[in-house]
Amino acid sequence: MKTEISFILNGSEVTVSVDGHSRLIDMLRGPLGQTGTKEGCGEGECGACTVIVDGRAINSCLYPALEAEGKNITTIEGLQDLKNKLSAIQQAFVDCGAIQCGFCTPGMIISAKALLDSNPNPSDEEIRDALLGNLCRCTGYVQIVEAVKQAAIKLKDTS
Amino acid sequence: MRGFDYFKPRSLNEVWELKEKTPGARFISGGTDLMVQIKNQELCPKALVSLRSIPELTGVEVGEVTRIGALTTISDIIQHPSLRHKYPVLVEAAKSLGSVQIRNVATIGGNLCNCSPCADMAIPLLVLEAKVRLKSAKTSREIPLNEFFLGPGESCLAPDEILTDILLEPTQLNAKATFLKKGRVKMDLAVVSVALLLETEGERCCKVRLAVGSVASVPLRLLKVEALLEGAIISKELVIQVQQLAADSISPITDVRATKEYRRQIASVLVRRAFEKVLG
Repeated sequence: MKTEISFILNGSEVTVSVDGHSRLIDMLRGPLGQTGTKEGCGEGECGACTVIVDGRAINSCLYPALEAEGKNITTIEGLQDLKNKLSAIQQAFVDCGAIQCGFCTPGMIISAKALLDSNPNPSDEEIRDALLGNLCRCTGYVQIVEAVKQAAIKLKDTS
Repeated sequence: MRGFDYFKPRSLNEVWELKEKTPGARFISGGTDLMVQIKNQELCPKALVSLRSIPELTGVEVGEVTRIGALTTISDIIQHPSLRHKYPVLVEAAKSLGSVQIRNVATIGGNLCNCSPCADMAIPLLVLEAKVRLKSAKTSREIPLNEFFLGPGESCLAPDEILTDILLEPTQLNAKATFLKKGRVKMDLAVVSVALLLETEGERCCKVRLAVGSVASVPLRLLKVEALLEGAIISKELVIQVQQLAADSISPITDVRATKEYRRQIASVLVRRAFEKVLG
């Protein structure tokens, strides 16, 4: 049985028809074609599928698609501005070499955004805690934490 | 994933109707455990009835008796100023549960109803002597949390019953409590967890509540240990006796996370550390 739902995705209202058993990640990557969000473990351990729902980072692999109705959702595709310029967090990941294979990166950046939106001045410990649910199997976490710190400084300078 | 229908009722009355009309339907709250079980085909529900859009199940009211709606997320508990102030042991445990992404969705009621022996919310709630309110279409009852758990994945909930609220009495002003958890990394399920609540009068201890996780078929209150300590003056020797009695009162198993021997050893150590922390 398909149900039609509407919600805000990266600032624009979308309407989709989804099955009861669809997860948010299925809906994003399938009918909505937003493949920036990745599925790693599918069990809420790795964080590759992290998106922001109403200001909070969540695992889209554990989130029933129908619960998205009426919500405000941000995915990695929502971070670039209209001129396709990278956001401060994305640029900081590039500048700090916080990327290797890139599979965990959308989730990492979304978790970092959720953190910096609510806490513009995080300590190292707060950054590590916010990224605890995001696994990187290539680089380790030093450059990633560095990138989040650098992004925090840049965001403060521009605001 | 096998197909199933997903319903989003807006009131408890609607929930009972749906449950009656839909045999084989399961309730879902945050879904952080349930969705994994479905993915791994440990569960194949015919339908899911979501409890997330029901106002009666949300909200926290702190007062003479504190009520926490079952659908309150772990993050909401951590951020609630009055809960932080009145029940810091609950907030400490909430902070140790999963990752940010899990805490933003997982609910306190769901953590209890999943009935895992390692449930992070159960251990502090046991020492706070929480009650849970269980409602069906025609019944409503309140039971001590201690009587709620029957075994791994098993509670005393009837098929049409829902855990609607968690109820907490105020703790005494001089009560001190702590929660300790051992995992391999911070985000892990507990290999062992311990919560301790202590009320003292001078040197004498007038009330002790001790609960342990991941070392028995249910989150467990150690009633024998509590009885041993009631009215006693706590000394180093007594704590050693308590550690031994605690280790003898549990029945841990060996699984992928730890052996039963290791769990027994760690439980004893965490009990000692909990006393050290509470006694300062």
